[in-house]
Amino acid sequence: MPVSDKPPAISREVTPTPSVKGGRGQYRPAPEQQSFLLAPAEQVHPPPLRANPVQRLWLCIYLPALALEAVSDVAEAFAVFEDKQGIRKILLVNAKATAAGIGPGLSVNAALALLPTLGFAERNPQREAQVSRELAGWAEKFTSCVCIEAPSLLLLEIAGSLQLFGGLKALRQRITLSLESQGFSAAIAIAPTPLAASWLARAGRKVCIRDPQNLAGKLAPLPLSCLNWPDSVCASLSGMGVTSVGDCLRLPRAGFAKRFGASRLLQLDRALDRLPDPRTSYRTPERFAAEYELDAEQSDSTLLLNACQELLVRLEHFLLTRQMAVQHVQFSFFHLRAPATHLALGCVQADRAVQHWYDLLAIKFERLDLPEPVIAMQLCADQGQPFSAKTGILPFTGQVTQQQSTSLTQLAERLGAYIGAESVHGVMTVAEHRPQYAWSSRSAVADVPRCASVPGYQGADYSQLTEMQRNNSLILRRPLWMLREPELLTTRQNLPFYQGTLTLLDGPERLETGWWDDDGIARDYFVARNTKGVHLWVYQNRSREDGAWYLHGIFG
Amino acid sequence: MNDALEKLLQNPRLWRGQAAAGSLNKPGWQGLASGYPKLDQHLPGGGWPQHALTEILLEYYGTGELALLMPALARLSQPEDDAQARWIAWIAPPFEPYPPALLQWGVNLSRVLIVRPRKPAEALWAAEQALSSGNCAAVLLWSDAFNDTTASRRLQLAAEKGQSWAIAFRSLSVLSQPSAAALRVQLKPGEKGTDLGILKSRGGRPAVVQDYAGL
Repeated sequence: MPVSDKPPAISREVTPTPSVKGGRGQYRPAPEQQSFLLAPAEQVHPPPLRANPVQRLWLCIYLPALALEAVSDVAEAFAVFEDKQGIRKILLVNAKATAAGIGPGLSVNAALALLPTLGFAERNPQREAQVSRELAGWAEKFTSCVCIEAPSLLLLEIAGSLQLFGGLKALRQRITLSLESQGFSAAIAIAPTPLAASWLARAGRKVCIRDPQNLAGKLAPLPLSCLNWPDSVCASLSGMGVTSVGDCLRLPRAGFAKRFGASRLLQLDRALDRLPDPRTSYRTPERFAAEYELDAEQSDSTLLLNACQELLVRLEHFLLTRQMAVQHVQFSFFHLRAPATHLALGCVQADRAVQHWYDLLAIKFERLDLPEPVIAMQLCADQGQPFSAKTGILPFTGQVTQQQSTSLTQLAERLGAYIGAESVHGVMTVAEHRPQYAWSSRSAVADVPRCASVPGYQGADYSQLTEMQRNNSLILRRPLWMLREPELLTTRQNLPFYQGTLTLLDGPERLETGWWDDDGIARDYFVARNTKGVHLWVYQNRSREDGAWYLHGIFG
Repeated sequence: MNDALEKLLQNPRLWRGQAAAGSLNKPGWQGLASGYPKLDQHLPGGGWPQHALTEILLEYYGTGELALLMPALARLSQPEDDAQARWIAWIAPPFEPYPPALLQWGVNLSRVLIVRPRKPAEALWAAEQALSSGNCAAVLLWSDAFNDTTASRRLQLAAEKGQSWAIAFRSLSVLSQPSAAALRVQLKPGEKGTDLGILKSRGGRPAVVQDYAGL
């Protein structure tokens, strides 16, 4: 605003707070309103509207009935009461109770006399705070800056989100509908400053102000009650005939600050965007934890699984807003008369999809032994990791690829979840001469190496192999089947015997190694054939005097 | 009307006898080359039936049942495209599959998945899961619980669903039992090599291949 407009600074003369004229918000010196109070110089003139402020837009969600909605979602007549020095007065009622003539301020006994079936609960501030935190976490999907002004008041800075969500109207509608579907009745107001937005929302004005110039005009008619100032302040203001925000603005600044505190003047200035109003945004915790309470003890697995799924949906929302995924989650089932049962789920590739976790859960839950019916359950997730998504294929590219609904590791996980993770594994070779050590099992769910980088793989030529096969498979001197432990063979006429006397076809292949540790071997390996036509891999122990024969493998 | 009939005739599940199916070399679907030319000649489509159940009946383990499959499995384990990589699942093998030997046969070990269920019934469950998941190129199953026609039908359907090749190793005692398998072969160690008897072949006809590995 033109600074030159202001009158010359004379010590006795005080510039009044701008009056509001025609909603334009332009303030001019109004000589007829002068304070007779001396005031510190910096409070004499209102700070001018900031010349080129960063355009911000705050959306305020006010939940007038949070105290009721936080504790109950029943359709029956319900009321929330507050205990003030032993007097239990009703604070909020739902629509059915209102229809029965019950309203706020009524004592609980009076309400019960009107409607004996009325259900009620005491106000639960902890629960309200928790609900508002959950809502703040939900609101993070619309903007990165969410503030919890009060449990029933959330502020979202949406200037940066408009483009993404298709404009102000669409975004607002989306937020409204989503809140409705979650069972909250909300008043939403949008203004360039957080305080203005929260005042408008508290007053129930569903307005949208985008230009800071219009703020003063729109805020002026608001009643004092929406400011959330202490009752004593409001009472003394109304005693002076000041009943609206506009009246406050019209008061001399210096006197106002002296009587009601500089902080209230600061609030007014901030609401009108004359002074910056920095906010710290709410950050939901990095680890997910959520609870689900059942109305009564339950042991029906379908119902419990449904509840678990609801928790998983919340987990997915949580992770989605952070672009994260988790590897391990833990379900805890609480019982009334027994310690909680825990069920841990893990997967190899961090995931967030509800369906994936639910499948794993369903497999494990089937085998879970619940000692007692369940009254509540909890889902905790471990530290999230950045989510790495796969590139999909566009449906119209014409490539009909096989439906790989699950990744390779997911199959191993599913099998492992049912059978036991140690029973599902991959294999790999080890550079070692002793046959029993020349391989080891490998976690099937670890990072599956790509074809090109398989250790020890020389890219055996397929046609060459079939050539070898055609000559005789015995050229491949290692059997496809190995016995876990070599089997001692009986001998007849100095020849090993296994389902008949063996004919030695090939050998010996002498393996004498491993002297550096305790498990050294000295063996002569032979390829043998028994009377049934089975090719066997047998060896004679050389380290022993008796030269015992052992069966070690079978050429499948 | 004719179109519908043509479509029906193209269906590999419709068995029309050799004459009606045209020549054996042109059955309308492509088999997975077994790597043994002598055997391929007798199999419709010139190879193992893909996306179906194959049963191998044998008396003793080690009569060449793995060598019979190895060339085909080696090829399956090395797809041209890395994105199409799928498991080769061994469910409840009677002994340890020996990785150095698998490598000699050209099998890509990183695709081998060994599953050892604790109960025979779990082996069937695991096989069905692996087949229908679409993540397995081939599933090899050894299970005593696989002893009725229902199980064979389930495996066959799962193999179709997941476009996977199911191979079940069964004892000779189930020879007389009906089965939904697309191919049933019997292994008999002979004088020169292992003989292979084709008991049932969808779209083909029974035959005996003497010393299948020979020329």
